[in-house]
Amino acid sequence: MPNNSEANAGFYKDTLLAGLWRENPVFRLLLGMCPTLAVTAAVKPALTMGLCVIFVLLCSNLIVSLMRNLLKPHLRILMFTLTISTFVTIADLFLKAFVPRMSETLGPYVPLIIVNCIIICRAEACASKNPLIVSIIDALGMGAGFTLTLCVLAGVRELLSTGKIFEAQVMPDWFVPWAAMSMPVGAFITLGLLLGLVNATTGKKA
Amino acid sequence: MVKIKHFIQQSWLLIVASFFFGLLIAVANAALSERIEQNRINKLNRLTRALLPEAENFIALDTEIEIESTRGKKEKVQVYKAVSEGKCVGWSFNAAGSGFADKIELVVAVDKDFQKLAGFDILASNETPGFGDQIKYDYFRDQFKGAPAEELKLVSIGSANPGEIDSEIVAITGATISSEAVVEIINNSITQIKNQMQKKGLIGNAK
Repeated sequence: MPNNSEANAGFYKDTLLAGLWRENPVFRLLLGMCPTLAVTAAVKPALTMGLCVIFVLLCSNLIVSLMRNLLKPHLRILMFTLTISTFVTIADLFLKAFVPRMSETLGPYVPLIIVNCIIICRAEACASKNPLIVSIIDALGMGAGFTLTLCVLAGVRELLSTGKIFEAQVMPDWFVPWAAMSMPVGAFITLGLLLGLVNATTGKKA
Repeated sequence: MVKIKHFIQQSWLLIVASFFFGLLIAVANAALSERIEQNRINKLNRLTRALLPEAENFIALDTEIEIESTRGKKEKVQVYKAVSEGKCVGWSFNAAGSGFADKIELVVAVDKDFQKLAGFDILASNETPGFGDQIKYDYFRDQFKGAPAEELKLVSIGSANPGEIDSEIVAITGATISSEAVVEIINNSITQIKNQMQKKGLIGNAK
């Protein structure tokens, strides 16, 4: 059945791209705002957070998809949370053991991935209704979309607050760092402007 | 009986999954906990070593030292003895208190007679970047190196001779809570620990 497999491939590609742009979790669905605002003061912690979310999203989508036929409707959220918190705890232990300084920078925001809406949303909207492969592709797409937006936001903030990107100096000497950009106010302003920019370029009405 | 059967039917997956996930976390924890504990000790050692460079080794004191925290709660403090060639060259201990945004945890080092501070460093803090977190900067911390180990005074205007080391600590700004908090934490812990150590005969009564 060549037609069928071609349609499948198209569907997979579509699922992957949806997370990156059309249904981008931060810019389009406005989900997972807590880490988006909290850990984007510099690119490194933002990237670490993104990778953690990809790991957790992948594992939880995989497990939820495998047990989707066994789920009792009224117990499903409980099962999702149980699955997610297990993998978040493992990711947290891993960071503490291998990158202790990064773990200190991220602080409570790693355990807080448990309540990150993106992961619950994908478990509910995708993994609990779709076969394994689709769920995995969806997790990769959504995770990558989240990580990319986090890095863009962090890049803007790190550049303006320190004149560096990825801890390497890029701004000329006369540049005066804007300390406010590394504080919460910088996060809100940058996110607001980026959201406006995305809406303006895609012609979406507010 | 019917109720139990219904309960099992509804929740068997949850029960099985709980056991499975619990096992998974237990395995991960068993594999990594040693490394995590080692990281914590390494950090403490690294910071204390920088404060007391002549020390070769740090020995945890068996004697229990209990102090009243800034909030009036009793807290146990672990004091470490810094040793070099069998002789005591200083002491270090951890102290904590509330800062501007969150708890500030410090490691404080003093000389062998508890007369002078050897300095402090920050184990954990969450102060405002660019303002309060200047307590991490050398210009602020250097004021404590060699300061008398007694009540320190916080002033908002710098003294006449800036290089001088005395019991006056110049605040980051008059309105910065973080520098106030550090002085308060050190003041609170140092006098109490000094008293208790003198009582227990670990250090001499100098005065």
